[in-house]
Amino acid sequence: MESTVRILKRFIHATVLISLFLLLLNFMVLLLWIGNGISADESPSFVVQKVAKGLDGGPNHYILDPLSQKLLEEQQIWAMLIANTGKVAWEFKLPDEIERTYSLTDVAKFSRSYLMDYPVFVYEHQDGLVVVGYPKGSLAKYQHILQVGWVESLPLRAVLLLIGNIVLALLLSLLIGSKLIHSIRPLTHGIHALADDKEVKIEPKGILADLATSINHASSLLQKKTQSLNSRDEARSNWIAGISHDIRTPLSMVLGYASEIAESDDAPSEHRRLARIIRKQAEHLRSLVHDLNLVSMLEYEMQPIGMKPIRLSALARQVASDFLNNGVDERYTLEVDIADEGSKINGDERLLLRAITNLLQNSIRHNPDGCQIRLQTSYDPGKQICRIVVSDNGKGIAQEELTDLLELPYSVRRNRPRQNGHGLGLPMAARIAKAHGGWLSLISGVGEGFCAVVEVPAVQSNG
Amino acid sequence: MMDELQYKKLLIVEDEREIRDMVDRFLRKEGFTRIYQASNCAEAIDLCRSVTPDIAILDVMLPDGDGFSLLTSLRQISKMPVLFLTARGEDEDRLLGLGLGADDYIVKPFLPRELVLRLKAILRRVYSPYVQEKRPVFPLGSRVIDLESGIVKSQNSESSLTAKELILLSKLYENQNRIVTSDALCQAAWGDDYEGYENTLMVHIRRIREKIEPAPSDPHYLVTVRGLGYKLVVKGE
Repeated sequence: MESTVRILKRFIHATVLISLFLLLLNFMVLLLWIGNGISADESPSFVVQKVAKGLDGGPNHYILDPLSQKLLEEQQIWAMLIANTGKVAWEFKLPDEIERTYSLTDVAKFSRSYLMDYPVFVYEHQDGLVVVGYPKGSLAKYQHILQVGWVESLPLRAVLLLIGNIVLALLLSLLIGSKLIHSIRPLTHGIHALADDKEVKIEPKGILADLATSINHASSLLQKKTQSLNSRDEARSNWIAGISHDIRTPLSMVLGYASEIAESDDAPSEHRRLARIIRKQAEHLRSLVHDLNLVSMLEYEMQPIGMKPIRLSALARQVASDFLNNGVDERYTLEVDIADEGSKINGDERLLLRAITNLLQNSIRHNPDGCQIRLQTSYDPGKQICRIVVSDNGKGIAQEELTDLLELPYSVRRNRPRQNGHGLGLPMAARIAKAHGGWLSLISGVGEGFCAVVEVPAVQSNG
Repeated sequence: MMDELQYKKLLIVEDEREIRDMVDRFLRKEGFTRIYQASNCAEAIDLCRSVTPDIAILDVMLPDGDGFSLLTSLRQISKMPVLFLTARGEDEDRLLGLGLGADDYIVKPFLPRELVLRLKAILRRVYSPYVQEKRPVFPLGSRVIDLESGIVKSQNSESSLTAKELILLSKLYENQNRIVTSDALCQAAWGDDYEGYENTLMVHIRRIREKIEPAPSDPHYLVTVRGLGYKLVVKGE
């Protein structure tokens, strides 16, 4: 809607500018023409004046100066001097058909128009009246008799006319423009809808029917592509869900019977030990299946997330306590540094706990010789961001391998095969951060320790 | 009390015979004897009518319907507690199951001990609600702490615990030898809206120490875990 109004405005501006330009151009051309048509040194009034001035001498022997004579000859003009008596006192190439004697009435008649169809012009001479006659049909003489009032109101009328013209041009451009807009509007709506990834169906009609068909086609293509992408994502996710479902039942039996043997007093102790190993591996497989499913759901944005405000400090303490409670080898130390007590984020508590736990486990898994781990939380009031940092002083990893760590294991985007662990921990943490509108970034270098930073938008704390 | 629970009638609805037999076996080992098995919804409904079981363990994916709709139809016959045992671990399924009024939801693969413990917990909760569970009495160093009556006894004196102190000490005892975060303690004592009670918590902890520690300023039993919370150290049984 907004864009159509904008188009209409531009259209009107352009029309007004074009009409003003045309008007100006026409005016100038007109001026030029008129100027040419009545050039001063060729005009009849100039000629007759020149002849009158150039006619010297007394009665019976008038002499025309050569310059005027040449002027007359060039334009085939005849000339005569009518004396005050009414008789022709001097003549130059005067045609025979012209009378040689004139009464006052005759003079009054021809001075306004023609003498025997010759366009004539008169000028005052000391001895009478000089008359020059142009060839027949060469000039047209018009008499304009105008009322003074009309002439005086002429500028006002011109301005009114101009305004009238502008208004008319505006109306016309508005009419044409709105007609055009009317046919364009469905198209603009369609293109906007395309940008919003909605389905578009425009009825192709009018001069822009081709365009409408193209837009419809583009829309259906886009829809098809999104659909196939979605269905592929869904198929992948369902496939993984299906596999993990099918693994769960047999795994239940392995876990169940292995547990039974491990806890049975009848079994020899060596068998119990072996059963405990089977149970441990089955539990490992169980967590793997669960993680795989969770990561796949997060990857295709199918994980329902129960968002609620969570205190970041409480979250960090929870993770650290769980971690210490589950027994950590003495080679590892965990330091907790909570910079801001009150800041909150909107999030799914279980997922966030999972993400931070993964980061801690990552530090442990990759530093079998032990390391110091730091868990820091802070709040950045400028960016309204909460930060969770898990860092260690362990052996670190080469900088160029960092991007690999966030890709899923076995992904084609991963340049090197995973080294140890099931490789889901960091990708999962990254996807959990993303699901919360945040991100996970990794900083490391060989021998420089490893630092993982989760940044999540903060919620406005209410005190 | 436990003996009574073992006479309860259990219904297992599960289409995989191996799982059914395994669960059956574990439950029998735990002393349950009246166990009925169904492999689909129709059988489950028939059994529910004929033997009126006291608790049901339902699978979600069954050959003639899903466990959620089975629960809805069972509810028209019986008010018995229900525990879902399923390979569908997605959170939405879990929420759907619990939302329909299931009492618990266990995802396969499961540890048999976990299943049995949860089953017994439900049975206890549903069928012996009037038998108040006794809160524990335990020795701590030279003193005995009675959480039931809220009293700390030493050889020659006795001091009583306030309500909040009792809540905090119970919470710590439930998680004995494990760190309990100050957030969890505040939440236990003052509810979800616990913000700002951190200092009050410290005051209460100091008072508890005065009652249970021989040297309150150098605590041996209720120890502070700096930056995280507290831990009640109880020597092995």
